[in-house]
Amino acid sequence: VAGLRVCVPRGALFEGSLERLRAAGFDVSPLEDVGRKLIFRSPDDTLFITTRPTDVPTYVQAGAADVGIVGKDVLRERDPDVYEMADLRFGECRMVYATGADHDPTRDALDRLGSVRVATKYTRVARDYFERTGRQVELVKVNGSVELAPLVDLADGIVDLVATGTTLRENGLVAREEIFESSARLIANRVSHKVRAAEIDALAARLTGAP
Amino acid sequence: VTEPRGIARRLPEGARDSLPTEAEELRQIESALRRELDAYGYREVATPVLEYADVLEGAIDQGLGDAFRLFDASGRVMVLRPDITVPVSRLVATRLAEHPGPVRAFYFGRAFRPPPPGAPQAAEVRQAGAELVGASGPAADAELIALLHRSLTGAGIGDLTIAVGDIALTEAVLDGLGVPRETRVLLGRALAARNLVEWQRIAAGLPLPAAAGDLLGRLPALRGGPEILERVCAVAPAAESVCDTTGELLDLLGRAGIGADVMLDVGIARDWPYYSGLVLEAHSPLVGAPLAAGGRYDLLAERFGAPRPSVGFAIDLDVLHRALALQGGNGAGSAPGVVLVGGLDAHLELAGRLRGLGVRVAGVAADHPDPSALARADGWARVLVVRDDRLIVSDLDGTRLADCASAEEVVRWLA
Repeated sequence: VAGLRVCVPRGALFEGSLERLRAAGFDVSPLEDVGRKLIFRSPDDTLFITTRPTDVPTYVQAGAADVGIVGKDVLRERDPDVYEMADLRFGECRMVYATGADHDPTRDALDRLGSVRVATKYTRVARDYFERTGRQVELVKVNGSVELAPLVDLADGIVDLVATGTTLRENGLVAREEIFESSARLIANRVSHKVRAAEIDALAARLTGAP
Repeated sequence: VTEPRGIARRLPEGARDSLPTEAEELRQIESALRRELDAYGYREVATPVLEYADVLEGAIDQGLGDAFRLFDASGRVMVLRPDITVPVSRLVATRLAEHPGPVRAFYFGRAFRPPPPGAPQAAEVRQAGAELVGASGPAADAELIALLHRSLTGAGIGDLTIAVGDIALTEAVLDGLGVPRETRVLLGRALAARNLVEWQRIAAGLPLPAAAGDLLGRLPALRGGPEILERVCAVAPAAESVCDTTGELLDLLGRAGIGADVMLDVGIARDWPYYSGLVLEAHSPLVGAPLAAGGRYDLLAERFGAPRPSVGFAIDLDVLHRALALQGGNGAGSAPGVVLVGGLDAHLELAGRLRGLGVRVAGVAADHPDPSALARADGWARVLVVRDDRLIVSDLDGTRLADCASAEEVVRWLA
């Protein structure tokens, strides 16, 4: 039987993931090179697959990877059918609702127009949150530079992931409501979680530094 | 290839057609499963695809959830069955109420679930299932698990793991540790979402002694052999009787010779809320979704007026088929087939004789311009032509392979 297949996200969690893998004793240098490989088998037979962060749950749910490292934000947005095994406690950030720092148009929009217009990459997270808090929302799906939307009146506010808050500040925005805290998680395929239980638990222990 | 014309040729989300090769492979899987189910004395039943929504709804506390619903002429809500266990339970409770029991029933059928938006998921699930109604205890559970094992291996699955757990085990541990009701709701929700991080977070927030807190945190991640039961009982003596029953079940499975393929999985969570005891999932390492799932649902039949303990499983035939295809091997291994030139007109009698000898004969007219093209499209390797009372077998390039005097001789050649 071949080694475990581990899906690693390229993107914001990439460096943190590699660091954690190195600390766990894996030689992941082939993934770090400039012309980096998308897929790489380490000497101990573990197969590393690197993908876009939002694709990690797809690979793991389908069983193309046994386990994966992925942000809680992606899990909340995609709601994949996988085991969320461990909080890896890096890549910490917050999912927030933010509006202009000098003026919060939310109340006005809800009172006068009946709904608030929100730009986000995370449409499911935003819809669930506004539904849960009893407010009507009109979602504008954007794929990047979400902070731009309120500046040009595309939206009243944004729902986005915030690490330090610098980007918000630079664009004259301020976090008004925190939706949830995010961090990197270890996820496992439903079948792998059973048929490779011992290997997966051992990997989880190595990655979390647990005894 | 014809240019697609958009919506006019499109199927509803999650729906798909089956072409001949797939259909034939599925038929072979079904006949292998039928053979094993027969061997255990299970008998086939069928229920309608359309039922009244309130009848099925009434059987499940949380309701049916997502399902295709429509109205009959009088305005009553009907549902395309989203699951077959509930209808079969209805059938057994209402039509077989006088049966002395236990009732051993199996079915082949389709269940329908609207795919969630954006998720490419089948709206129609082909299932084969078995239900054992009117029997409880580890022996009944063991029979069903052994039947599932034999069905899947009989269908050709080589590497199989059957994960078993018991809802009552988790309940007993939570009872024993005195976990309050509100917390149990939250734990249940985390487990259903397979969110072990959330489970551990909730567990860590409870005022428990170290050993108990540690056990509770790890509980849904415990998978392995009978040693787990000792570990659980050592910390939560309240779980002892459930542990004994589960231990007995593992013992029976060992004696049935399938112990090596069975693992205990405490945190196994099923998608349907009617389970009350045993829960199980069957896995092949080749596919990322369970081949089969099931468990014990002792309270379901009562909803239909005839309380009887029941246990059952449903195999997802498409997942099973995918696992078999990935496993390799010969697939449909078709009976010898041949295109008979003149089989539609000039040589009807010969066509009949060959079919009587077990050969698949696709007839074409005596003046057919390209019998090889038809043979190629349908996967037959041979073309048969009658010339001057001789039966000439050729391959699809027209190379003559045999010159036979009789139908029997042709059969030998095709074999």
